[in-house]
Amino acid sequence: MTALKLSDEIEQKIAQMWPRFPEDRVRKVLCLPVLYMASQQFGRVDEAVIRLVAERLELPPAHVRGVATFYTMIETGEVGEFHLQICTNIGCMLEGAYDVLEHCKKRLSIEKNHGTSPDGKVTVSEVECLAACGFGPVAQIAQKGKPDIPLYFEKLDEARMDQIIDALCEGRVPVELGV
Amino acid sequence: MPVAETKIVSARFDDPDAKEIDAYERSGGYRAARKAVRMDPAEIAAEVKASNLRGRGGAGFPTGVKWGFVPKDADTVYLVVNADESEPGTFKDRHILFWDPHLLIEGMICASRALRVKNAYIYMRGEMMREYQVVQRALDQAYAKGYLGRRIFGSDMDLDITIYRGAGAYICGEETALLSSLEGGRGWPRLKPPFPAVKGLFGKPTVVNNVETIANCGFIVEHGGAAFAALGTERSGGTRLLSVCGHVERPGVYEVTMQTTGRELIEEVCGGIRGGRKVKGVIPGGVSMPVLLPDELDVPFEFDALQRDERIREVEVHPGRKFDLGGGRTLRTMAGSGGVVVMDETTDMTRALWRILHFFHDESCGQCTPCREGTGWLVSVAKRIAFGAGKPGDVELLADIADGIAGNTICALGDAAAWPTLAFLTKYRDEFQAKIPKGRAAVQAPATAAGANV
Ligand SMILES: Cc1cc2nc3c(=O)[nH]c(=O)nc-3n(C[C@H](O)[C@H](O)[C@H](O)COP(=O)(O)O)c2cc1C
Ligand code: SF4
Ligand code: FES
Repeated sequence: MTALKLSDEIEQKIAQMWPRFPEDRVRKVLCLPVLYMASQQFGRVDEAVIRLVAERLELPPAHVRGVATFYTMIETGEVGEFHLQICTNIGCMLEGAYDVLEHCKKRLSIEKNHGTSPDGKVTVSEVECLAACGFGPVAQIAQKGKPDIPLYFEKLDEARMDQIIDALCEGRVPVELGV
Repeated sequence: MPVAETKIVSARFDDPDAKEIDAYERSGGYRAARKAVRMDPAEIAAEVKASNLRGRGGAGFPTGVKWGFVPKDADTVYLVVNADESEPGTFKDRHILFWDPHLLIEGMICASRALRVKNAYIYMRGEMMREYQVVQRALDQAYAKGYLGRRIFGSDMDLDITIYRGAGAYICGEETALLSSLEGGRGWPRLKPPFPAVKGLFGKPTVVNNVETIANCGFIVEHGGAAFAALGTERSGGTRLLSVCGHVERPGVYEVTMQTTGRELIEEVCGGIRGGRKVKGVIPGGVSMPVLLPDELDVPFEFDALQRDERIREVEVHPGRKFDLGGGRTLRTMAGSGGVVVMDETTDMTRALWRILHFFHDESCGQCTPCREGTGWLVSVAKRIAFGAGKPGDVELLADIADGIAGNTICALGDAAAWPTLAFLTKYRDEFQAKIPKGRAAVQAPATAAGANV
């Protein structure tokens, strides 16, 4: 087994942020950004990643674990290659978000409001308000082990959702549909 | 005129060039910052106080007064911009961040001068990936021009601005939770006092302000506090950015005058209700604020009016028993975060309340028992009512649970769950009662419907 190593991007981030915080506090401050980037680098944060981050920042693993489990964007469970996150909060609900969610679940044979398609490709989750409520229903997509996809997929209906799912099943993020 | 003639925070919306520092400067940008760095800090603080600027993040607290709480002899003061925007229905700060990042940076320079801040932070919602890239690029441009860093604009002032990204937790928008998160821990709220202005980030005096609040500071420095105050009402200066979602013809983000009523907002600004249908309810400031009935919409959507205007009914715990906000004060509604949710006559109010409570239960940090247990209980009762399996007495039960949470928690998330519950029950009581099966139907299995399977 090769030893895990934090990416150069993470080391750069540490170097950039370090001087912006008090010297005696900065290790703890960096815990969240480093965990988030590590979650992207390794696809999820498991015990080995927690230990790696704890060691690098000289923090107790229990602290790092506590932070990792608090924030939903730090992936600690198993997810598919793509993670389709659909807002069903009030603004999007009024625009039919639950119908769109049900449609996705049906197409991908997912039972609960958080689950992964049987082929392990797409995870669908119901998420909370994404601050785009006037353009709902809104979704965001994450790709395992890849950097942020800085797009929202807005005004979704079943037809648009089908286009998104078709693309994901082909193994690509339909960036042309996002804003 | 409901739409503001003087646009302070939305002037550059929809202009893709405005993100570039040169275009921003060509349209008058960084004039206020150049002026501020050569002003006496106390003078800027006095202008902000005179401007009647009130916080746009939720509580509407006067910004100048908040700044005044920072001890004068403090060696280190921090400014933290709250860009965590996640109160459902609210999407205005994201527009400022995306369309006019330099306006925020300029406001931060002015505020930092007033507060003698050398390190300022933007705590930005993790999900805002597009906005993060835009604001980071704008910061890089400002550094390259010498508008940030050492001796900015050739003055004696140093200022660093750093973005810190959240990672998915609504509670981190609450200012003390935000500071816990920014210090690198779990986003747990802390008891106040001490208030952040006295003991905040890393134990130092810290001013936490909303994106829109700070974005107004450049105008105040450039044109003076009196000019800003003159745009508003007696105690609320300037204009307001509202985000409108739901069943209107034109949802979106609008800068309106403080005098604009809910009805003008819907009819004139947003083109009315879709399909010629009728309005049934309007949440004026994010889902934690009490909902308004159609006959309560002729009130200006402004801080004082929404709180005090007698045309808005007082929220009750049970019919005839008014909810006590503490000290005998009653609750009508509040301006909150400016997130307006418009619901037409087809809306099932029991479903709307269930979804709101589902959110607060999900986002409770779990530190206080009344909030952790109470929101769980609220959502299960609201859910069974919404999906047709309510029991006799459930409406009273919901109200009692909400009343038991309100005022008994560390942070205001508990109230944020309790207030809408009581308001929905006060105003749509018959609809909730009617949803509860009577007699034999009451023991039948619940209907399954889209969304029930959570
Ligand atoms: C549960 C909860 C969530 C909040 N979320 C936000 C938020 O996302 N953005 C924000 O600016 N203020 C939010 N606030 C209000 C902040 O605590 C704080 O009052 C505000 O940032 C102060 O800035 P202002 O005075 O400029 O409004 C929230 C408050 C609570 C209780
Ligand atoms: S009120 Fe709720 S969210 Fe706030 S501290 Fe208590 S448990 Fe956490
Ligand atoms: S309710 Fe879906 S983005 Fe706000």
